[in-house]
Amino acid sequence: MANHKDVLFGLYSDEEVLLKAVKKAKAAHLDIMDVFTPFPVHGLDEALDLKESRLHIVGFIFGLIGSLTAFLGMTWIFTDDWPIIIGGKPYWSVPAFIPITFELTVLFASIGMVVVFYVIGGLGPGVTNPTLDDRITDDKFCIAFDQHGMSDKDIDKVKSFLKDSGAEEIHTKTI
Amino acid sequence: MNTFTFERSQRMFLGTLMGIGLLCAIILLLQHDPLKARFWSDFLHNSVFFSGIAVMALFFMGASITGMAGWYTVFKRVWESFSLFLIVGIIFMIILGLGNYLGFHHLYHWNDAETVADDVLLKGKSHFLNKGWYLLGTIVIMGGWIYFARKLRALSLEEDQDPGHDFEKHRKMRVWAAAVLPFIGFSSAAVIWLWVMSVDPHWYSTLFAWYSAASWFVAMVAMTIMIIGYLQSKGYYPEFNRDHLHDLGKFLFAFSIFWTYLWFSQFMLIWYGNVGEETTYFFTRRDHYPVLFYGNLVINFVLPFLILLRNDTKRKLGTMFFVSGLVFFGHWIDYFLMIKPGVLHTTQALSAAGEDHGSHAIAAGFGMPGFLEIGMMLGFLGLFIYMVFWQLSKASLIPKNDPYLAESLHHHV
Amino acid sequence: MSHSPVSPIRAPLVEGHKTYHQITEDLSTPTEKRPNAAWWGAFAVALTFLTIGVICIVLTIWDGITEWNLNRTIGWGWDITNFVWWIGIGHAGTLISAILLLFRQKWRTGVNRAAEAMTIFAVMCAALFPAIHVGRIWVVFFFFPYPNSRGPLWPNFNSPLLWDLFAISTYFTVSLLFWYTGLVPDFATLRDRSKGLRRKMYNFVSFGWTGSAKHWQRHESLSLVLAGLATPLVLSVHTIVSFDFATSVIPGWHTTIFPPYFVAGAIFSGFAMVQTLMVITRKVLNLKQYITLEHIESMNKVILLTGTIVGVAYLTELFISWYSGYIYEQFAFFNRALGPYWWSYFGMMLCNVISPQLFWSKKIRRSVWWTFFMSIFVNIGMWFERFVIIATTLARDYLPSSWSYYSPSWVEIGIFLGTLGIFFTFYLLFTRLAPVVAVAEIKHILKSAGDQYIGKDAHHHHSSEITQES
Repeated sequence: MANHKDVLFGLYSDEEVLLKAVKKAKAAHLDIMDVFTPFPVHGLDEALDLKESRLHIVGFIFGLIGSLTAFLGMTWIFTDDWPIIIGGKPYWSVPAFIPITFELTVLFASIGMVVVFYVIGGLGPGVTNPTLDDRITDDKFCIAFDQHGMSDKDIDKVKSFLKDSGAEEIHTKTI
Repeated sequence: MNTFTFERSQRMFLGTLMGIGLLCAIILLLQHDPLKARFWSDFLHNSVFFSGIAVMALFFMGASITGMAGWYTVFKRVWESFSLFLIVGIIFMIILGLGNYLGFHHLYHWNDAETVADDVLLKGKSHFLNKGWYLLGTIVIMGGWIYFARKLRALSLEEDQDPGHDFEKHRKMRVWAAAVLPFIGFSSAAVIWLWVMSVDPHWYSTLFAWYSAASWFVAMVAMTIMIIGYLQSKGYYPEFNRDHLHDLGKFLFAFSIFWTYLWFSQFMLIWYGNVGEETTYFFTRRDHYPVLFYGNLVINFVLPFLILLRNDTKRKLGTMFFVSGLVFFGHWIDYFLMIKPGVLHTTQALSAAGEDHGSHAIAAGFGMPGFLEIGMMLGFLGLFIYMVFWQLSKASLIPKNDPYLAESLHHHV
Repeated sequence: MSHSPVSPIRAPLVEGHKTYHQITEDLSTPTEKRPNAAWWGAFAVALTFLTIGVICIVLTIWDGITEWNLNRTIGWGWDITNFVWWIGIGHAGTLISAILLLFRQKWRTGVNRAAEAMTIFAVMCAALFPAIHVGRIWVVFFFFPYPNSRGPLWPNFNSPLLWDLFAISTYFTVSLLFWYTGLVPDFATLRDRSKGLRRKMYNFVSFGWTGSAKHWQRHESLSLVLAGLATPLVLSVHTIVSFDFATSVIPGWHTTIFPPYFVAGAIFSGFAMVQTLMVITRKVLNLKQYITLEHIESMNKVILLTGTIVGVAYLTELFISWYSGYIYEQFAFFNRALGPYWWSYFGMMLCNVISPQLFWSKKIRRSVWWTFFMSIFVNIGMWFERFVIIATTLARDYLPSSWSYYSPSWVEIGIFLGTLGIFFTFYLLFTRLAPVVAVAEIKHILKSAGDQYIGKDAHHHHSSEITQES
């Protein structure tokens, strides 16, 4: 990480408290950097105004590529590249092409989606992303603010917000 | 609006539909055709199709109760009402069963003593394909379905009065619901062979029963969406939200694909094996009914697949109503394609009595559904909805003491 | 925001009034403690089996298929029986994760992780058999279509055996991706609890997971779409396995019900194997509060259901063979039930259709011992089913002069034992390296399925209580 960030964060121990806090922060126009939770919290993406994931579109496109690869590939091989009569069936035996077409659709869609998921999220084998607290993957729910560009007054405002909204611990950490 | 009032205008409208059906039936019976094959094949087609929708509603209700599903509870009464249509269905099927004895109709080649005498295969099958089994099987099996449907309905109504200590009524319902699953599982196959598969008495396919049951099932889900859509437009079921619709849409989508899977499995294996006795079934349909044969796949697979792939469309009542209408009609066509070619063949064989054997001229109402077929279908549809509304009006629209009701009311995806 | 209401009739799925932290503790410790004697014992046995398997496989490769008792008519014996059996077992994982997710069956959460792992190991065992069956394992890559210097000569895309290759490779890949993507957040939990080398190791495999809201959102979306894709995929795999038989014109194999019937059988045997493993795992790793009797009962219900579906299929086949009026078809089934292999047909009917009917009794469904024995029974029965389909049919085909009786050589038996060894070795390692129960997912359902929130012992002041008005 080239540029370090000073992060101010509060830890909560219940997701319902966290969700209320996030909504309050949004209402108060506080600029949340990120929220970290040990499991997916229902309703959090709406509270944070996260855009709907478009991963399924990626899957659709990759799936389509898979279908076409399989179907057109087999068509080319069996009608043009090396036509061969098998079991008295025509060269272009559509019913016999369906199973492989289906399998490659699923294969391409799945691999494409998973790879895109890791790449756009900056995740991957051996990647080390800085974490704020080890308990976030256990039982703590965290709202984090980037202190960059904040005046001392702003920082106090955020701290008091964290405290009022039920954060049990408030820390700063440079990551 | 927790009770449904069956209004006069609705009764009038449904009565008109039934009138149209009756009129078409009379026209068909007056036509010059000694065997009245067109009328009776339409009668069989619609009786089987609508009875099937009813039994699939019963089956799905049984499966949902057994699987402890909660989401559907809001509109459970709709399925209860569907399942009670079986009481009407059994009357039609008994008429057909008696017809085998009294010679009203000549739908089944195996019922012609002369043909059977000369046909080794039909003689071999005659222990199963005979009028006695047809009638007895129909009465016993459909009677059993009705028994279960009424039992589940009765428990559901009793629960409205008093759920019993620790949901006693619901727990009792679970026992009946679990028992209905294997019963329908085993028995539906037997009647499908008798009613539908045996119109092509030489042909057989082990998958046939599951394939045609899947067709019923999709039609049932489509019907559910349309009925609830209509009721909502009248202000009923305000509790039925977009998420319930979404779930029904998922079922419509998933089971359309499942139906296609079964269609493909049956077709591909017969195509691949290339055994003449089996392929003749598909040759007849592909060569003489190309529009319906390919149209069947377009309406029942391609269109619902493309339209329902996106989540947004599954949440729009208008789109869902349209797709449901489409696949409902599509599966009606599917049954048309299962029944008509076989009956036509039998009719030609019987009426020509050897002279003109092998002519494949397709009689009116056999190659493509004509106005009279559509009219007959509307008549049955009117009757079906009439019975459903009548049952709906007899109890509150929402089973208020069902233990899963709260989950269903707050259902969100 | 309060949680959606939960029906008062539902039983809790997480027992012992767990907090989030306790869940982390309970589910992570098996990977952090030194294994006990029972684990070492089991591991030693598994490794012994594995060694036997390796020896037999080496013998097969060295000498060729002659080491097996296959012959001119019986070209498929124990090898393909085992192949289909393992593939079938490999269906439960994806079924539990994908189909039950779509059907909103919450109880899947306790068992999905282990079932998915089992899927992957079972598919590995299955894939071994076609690879060694072809005889020349060193050119096994000829299976795959790739531009080559032989023409290029392509494989036969019209052959169900090639479809099978595509189906199984796809299934293996997608199951692995699905399973691993679910594991990433749990690996992060293990990472954050550890120090030193162990931390480095789990840091590597947890892919830098932080639990950021955007990541979770995408993770959920990914899981859902993968589940949607895996559902038809899981159906397709055993369907295509059934095509290996059903596209032929051999009586007893050429039957259209095979695709869905194989799928139902696969689910049936897969759940049986999950039961076998879960009953032991929950005891040894002390996870009874996460894999509860409620879970076991639900799985037993699925076993009863699929066993009955398989029963419908058996009877359909039997009936239609008579109905067909086709003497070869009729003979094939007569031979199955009353021919020289009658015992395998009897075993199949007894273990698959008749004995699961015991699960109509709630008491038996909730008995751990009964569950364990029944699961073994079903595993045996499903093995018999494949044996009946494969060996019985081939031993009595069209030409009576080539009829014979097939029984396996010790090498074939050794390879089967070897795959059991591979399977259990991997499973035992898995229980030490990753949480057997999905940590994040259990936390996710805690408030709607924990026994402090729902059921008899719930604290009744809590928000999840039922309100009847809407």
